[in-house]
Amino acid sequence: MAPPTGPRASRGNRQNPRGTRGGGIGKRRGTSRTDRDGDVSMDTSSAANPPTGPSAHSTRGNRGSRGGRGGRVSARLAQNVRNYVSEQDGTTRGGKAQYNKVTLKIHGLKDSKAAGNSDGGLRSLLEFLERKASKERPIILGRGVIRGDHVWLKVNQADAPNLLHLNGFTYAGAPLTIEETSDPIPGQNGRSTDGPEPNPSETKEKLLAVLSSRYNVEQKLLDLSALGADQTLFSMGAFESKALAEKSFKALMRLTATHYDNPAEKEAGIQAVTIANNDIHDVYEVFALAYTLPHLRRLDLSGNQLQDMSKISKWRHEFRRLEELHAAGNPVANLPTYATQMIEWFPSLQVLDGRRVRTPEEAAEAFKSWFPTPLPRLPSNLRDGGNNVASTFLSGFFVTYDHDRISLARQFYDEDSAFSLHTKAEPASSGYDNFSRNLETIGVRGSPIQQRLFNGSNLIAELWAQLPATRHPSLDLADEWQVDCHTFPSLADPSGQGLAMGLAITVYSRFEEVDPTRQLPGTRQFSRSFILGPSKPGAPHPYRVISDELALQAWVPQQAPAAAVQAPTVAPNVAPNAAPVPTVPVAAQPPVLDDTVRAQMIEELCRQTGMTPEYSRLCLAGEADWNFDLALRSFQEKRADLPPEAFVSAA
Amino acid sequence: MSANSHETNVRCSCEAAKNFVDWYYRQVNDCKSISPGYVNGHSAYDKAGHPPADICINGLVVATPQEWEKLLEQQRQAPKQPDPNKRRVRYEVEGFDAHVINADYRFGAPQKMLDLHSTTDGVRMMMTVVVSGTVYFGTGRNKADDYWEKQTFHDRFILVPNWDVLERPGTKHGRKYLIISHNYRAN
Repeated sequence: MAPPTGPRASRGNRQNPRGTRGGGIGKRRGTSRTDRDGDVSMDTSSAANPPTGPSAHSTRGNRGSRGGRGGRVSARLAQNVRNYVSEQDGTTRGGKAQYNKVTLKIHGLKDSKAAGNSDGGLRSLLEFLERKASKERPIILGRGVIRGDHVWLKVNQADAPNLLHLNGFTYAGAPLTIEETSDPIPGQNGRSTDGPEPNPSETKEKLLAVLSSRYNVEQKLLDLSALGADQTLFSMGAFESKALAEKSFKALMRLTATHYDNPAEKEAGIQAVTIANNDIHDVYEVFALAYTLPHLRRLDLSGNQLQDMSKISKWRHEFRRLEELHAAGNPVANLPTYATQMIEWFPSLQVLDGRRVRTPEEAAEAFKSWFPTPLPRLPSNLRDGGNNVASTFLSGFFVTYDHDRISLARQFYDEDSAFSLHTKAEPASSGYDNFSRNLETIGVRGSPIQQRLFNGSNLIAELWAQLPATRHPSLDLADEWQVDCHTFPSLADPSGQGLAMGLAITVYSRFEEVDPTRQLPGTRQFSRSFILGPSKPGAPHPYRVISDELALQAWVPQQAPAAAVQAPTVAPNVAPNAAPVPTVPVAAQPPVLDDTVRAQMIEELCRQTGMTPEYSRLCLAGEADWNFDLALRSFQEKRADLPPEAFVSAA
Repeated sequence: MSANSHETNVRCSCEAAKNFVDWYYRQVNDCKSISPGYVNGHSAYDKAGHPPADICINGLVVATPQEWEKLLEQQRQAPKQPDPNKRRVRYEVEGFDAHVINADYRFGAPQKMLDLHSTTDGVRMMMTVVVSGTVYFGTGRNKADDYWEKQTFHDRFILVPNWDVLERPGTKHGRKYLIISHNYRAN
């Protein structure tokens, strides 16, 4: 008996010379195997069976998306992308040589029956060529272009002979002439891409010039109105067609975005934009504005062609900070729902076409539901057990830290005190880097965790001497300081007996500091956490610092006063030992007073005036500037205005 | 030199601080509960009559950890935002540091723990942990995600041993150290 030769055996080797479409599809699918990645393992039959003839309504749909042949499609797509990219290179940068590509010029499409197709017959011509050329191995063609009477096509060098072989074939009733050429593919308007093409950097400069001429510094306004009438843009041909205008607008937006170093600068630099009178039919055409300037405050859309809500709706989730909108002169502005819809879409909107539609408070409330909102900030929260220990300690501490760190260490620190500081990773090195005990960066296991923990007043004073000089703002400037403190139980009593109360103080503020290498004045934000506990017998103060942890933010160069910028003067010969921050006027510092002296003054004022210690301190620290006589005089002047709780006896 | 700066205590406090910081900010960023990290409701402290944890948020005194969780929840509210990558609040720790402030902590300690651990064992420690970093508002889950607003934040914690857990070596559940004081500021 003969061995079974079922359909399976014959199917595998079957050639289909006629190349009919229809019933063959199922069988071909069986032979075109793809591996797991979707790559095709192709045999001859799968490549050689495309349908014949040009067809205006090809059953295969778009080139490159043939149904049911996933593997082939992906390979083709990849090839198309490669071809497209290289072709793009070829047309846009005409001069670039492509050694593995050959340009073919094909004549005859115009005379064929397919010329009436929506794409001029290009797709079916390319399919025809692919099919006819793929005799020995599959050949995939890239995107061709029709320029004049010719179709221009870039193909791989290896494929060129197969295609040139088709010269003289008849396609849809017309003979084809296929020739190799070294001419460059002509540009869209018949211009050769080899011609004087605008230099990209030149274009960029022209656009930047347009932007800067349309920027109003005072109002922080970017005026992009009536761009079509702009002489520079017109001469560049940037608004010749609708598509080109959209691209040009995108380019302008891109340049705007890259002009600023960071989003915050951009936000501060451009707060208002007008794109009035630009013949905009849908905001989609200028959508780039929304992601270039998401924090925009004022926007003028007036004099455009926005017909109804749907033409603005693409911006309904953008411009969360938009406070003022003008859209008069658009048909949409006459619709009855216009105002309510705008108010709903733009939560911060307060002024619509010159009419106030929300108060700032209402806008803030409406905005809240769009983004997480930071918690409100309250001023200092001092709960230091009624003895004002924290305020007394701090008022002396920072003044002394700025002037005499050694004596400060001796007064409040003893051999058990611990100090460490930490900075964040900074781009520039600072005077703190070698001492930073940032456990996030140095890790928790190495020796630095011991070395960068400073124990005992001597070591602490030694370290402080090496740190950059600082100047803290006066503690009377309440806005500059946030001080939170409270007492807590269970510290060890220094006598070794029982437990003691501690005081946890956390201070947030900033200080002035001169950059040691560049001698530039700057400021640094910091937070400093103290744990105070009772002192050992014989110490100068009843309490001592047990722990002092300083966290430093990045150093920020100080903004020179505006007057100095406008009138640059000859740099004065400042002596090197002058005040560390000479440019900034700083209120005269009060003489450094010991806390004990201050405490005595407060006590004395309490005794003489009958005020509470807190009011006495305020009175002394205020205008009087710790001058006892002045304080007493100001008390007598203002006595009538003082509330009853200012006095001890009133309680 | 006091036991506070003893080598073992310094090492153990740094490790405990890292452990704590990793846990705390992971919980906050994942919108999970942080109240088990506070001293409130832990039996050894409750029995010994320890006051509830002192929590001060941007200058506002908050009575319980649950209220602080409510504030965090309030901070996260963005009901109208359709994009989940613009809805989150993400804390990123950029630095932290820790000091031992009482190496002989004994409040509420079972006698067994006092007998077992000397002051240089790195167990009976009361410590402060300071953390600084950036909090991003209106952002996604990942570090590189865009954000709407950012602030720097500082947290200062005072931690004490959780006797309930330390007493039983090998316990896998529960924090080893509990917060008795928490100060938060974001600017």
